[in-house]
Amino acid sequence: MTTQTQTMEHAHHRKVLRYSVGPRIVHWMMALSFLLLLFTGMVIFLPFLSHYASGGNSRLLHRIGAVIYMSIPVIYLFVDRKALKELLWDSFHYDRDDMKWLAHVYRYFMGHAAEMPPQGRLNAGQKLHHAGVVIFSAFIVISGLILWFGKGYMGPINLGIAAIFHDVSMLVLTVLLVGHLYFTFVYKALSGMTSGYIEEEDALLEHPKWVEELPAEEPWVVEEA
Amino acid sequence: MTDYAFLLDLGRCIGCEACVAACKTGNELPTDLQFIQISEKSTGTFPDVTSLVLNHRCFHCTNAACVEVCPTGALYKEDGLTRLNREACSGCSYCVDACPFGVPQIYDGFSSKCDGCAEVVKAGGTPWCVKTCPNHALMYDTRENILAAAQNRLEALKGRYPDARIYGETEAGGLGMIVVMPDKPEAFDLPENPEPAFVIKAWQDLVQPVSAALTGLSIVVTGALAIIARRNHMQELARFEEDLAQREVAEATAGDSSQETTAEKEEV
Ligand code: HEM
Ligand code: SF4
Ligand code: SF4
Ligand code: SF4
Repeated sequence: MTTQTQTMEHAHHRKVLRYSVGPRIVHWMMALSFLLLLFTGMVIFLPFLSHYASGGNSRLLHRIGAVIYMSIPVIYLFVDRKALKELLWDSFHYDRDDMKWLAHVYRYFMGHAAEMPPQGRLNAGQKLHHAGVVIFSAFIVISGLILWFGKGYMGPINLGIAAIFHDVSMLVLTVLLVGHLYFTFVYKALSGMTSGYIEEEDALLEHPKWVEELPAEEPWVVEEA
Repeated sequence: MTDYAFLLDLGRCIGCEACVAACKTGNELPTDLQFIQISEKSTGTFPDVTSLVLNHRCFHCTNAACVEVCPTGALYKEDGLTRLNREACSGCSYCVDACPFGVPQIYDGFSSKCDGCAEVVKAGGTPWCVKTCPNHALMYDTRENILAAAQNRLEALKGRYPDARIYGETEAGGLGMIVVMPDKPEAFDLPENPEPAFVIKAWQDLVQPVSAALTGLSIVVTGALAIIARRNHMQELARFEEDLAQREVAEATAGDSSQETTAEKEEV
């Protein structure tokens, strides 16, 4: 109870740690390699960009991006094994509040977090987003590897199937990215991935169950000067 | 625009490979690259062996799978034929896999195939292979004339070969290579239906445009709502902070009074 009261008293001067440095580095590596893959994929996807594909440099860059993208889980494992495990566990486990949250997701979408069911470290939308990224990354990596090593020998049917899997995964991952940017903007959440800290009142509004469990000491909670 | 076409008379092709050599020399192809592959195929068991000459080359499909999948426009249709601009090619090999005849090859990183001797015919000449064929198995002319010629040759063949037919009049939207054949297409290892495969069409005509449209739509919708939703959130955040502050004050006073009560009790 003391912790709770203290938290309240200092609500306006405190920040809480959302992502430590390891996960932050992994996040930005993933973001940059995804954008590289997206742009070098787009040049052979959108006809008006196709002159950038001529000569084949975009194909080399796509493969460099692919190698970085595929190594992300391994890097994450080395950098912060615990955070990776937590992320995967959380993304595939939904409690009652999460289901209720999802049923009212349109309210959250419109910027109303206040009356949503209380959420933990990740809200149900973030969980779904991360689960989608994991699943469709697997699809895009498998179909990408099949294209990489099979093209030129695979015939029309296999080419068509692999390309359809690749493109549909691209669609899903890109729409997830668009949503990700949208919520980051609407809920001014960028600092969680830059400095790693967010304002305590933001955390209390959107992730009360998480704040409750958080140790009330540095580095998890810091006083603002 | 007049469509041009080739005639390939498999009843006349003797497999001499003069066209192969003429194409290589005329187009200055490297030694290990050729646009025509001639091979022999024997069917039946000894002593009833018949042998056929297979003539593998670009058939210049109207609904060309290679053109359909080419992301750079390096492959394109012109005058009824399928041209290739290697400068624009990205080397992705989509055309290699998509072609129902297995025609394009990646050479030196980029696609290569017969372009119908674009330079020669635009200068008013005859394609190298056609000019060289000693047995008149090849012709080049307007598609109309070629179809008429094919009909004549078919008549001549019919007597000896009951299965003789013309291949390419309507296949894959009509081929730019009209083939007169004394037997069924299978006998010459040619597909009965060289239309682009269904999944190739689904990928190009459905999955690609729908993916592009849905991605665009998601950007438009979120872009339009972002400002409104952010304002909503800022307002609720301000209210939430006020509530927090009030609760703080309330709790502080509550804390004070309870302390007082304890003190009073102690005094008593
Ligand atoms: C993760 C994000 C990725 C995105 C957004 C992406 C996007 C794309 C797109 C849009 C295309 C063009 C498909 C078309 O023309 O319809 C493409 C092609 C291709 N992708 Fe990816 N891709 C990603 C990951 C990968 C991975 C991980 C691999 C390999 C392991 C890969 C390998 C390929 C290959 C080989 C092609 C064929 C074209 C070429 O040779 O350049 N991609 N990608
Ligand atoms: S038309 Fe020209 S490029 Fe094509 S096979 Fe004949 S000679 Fe070669
Ligand atoms: S035969 Fe193959 S390479 Fe030639 S036009 Fe048809 S699809 Fe293209
Ligand atoms: S290899 Fe070249 S010609 Fe063939 S589909 Fe790719 S870009 Fe087009």
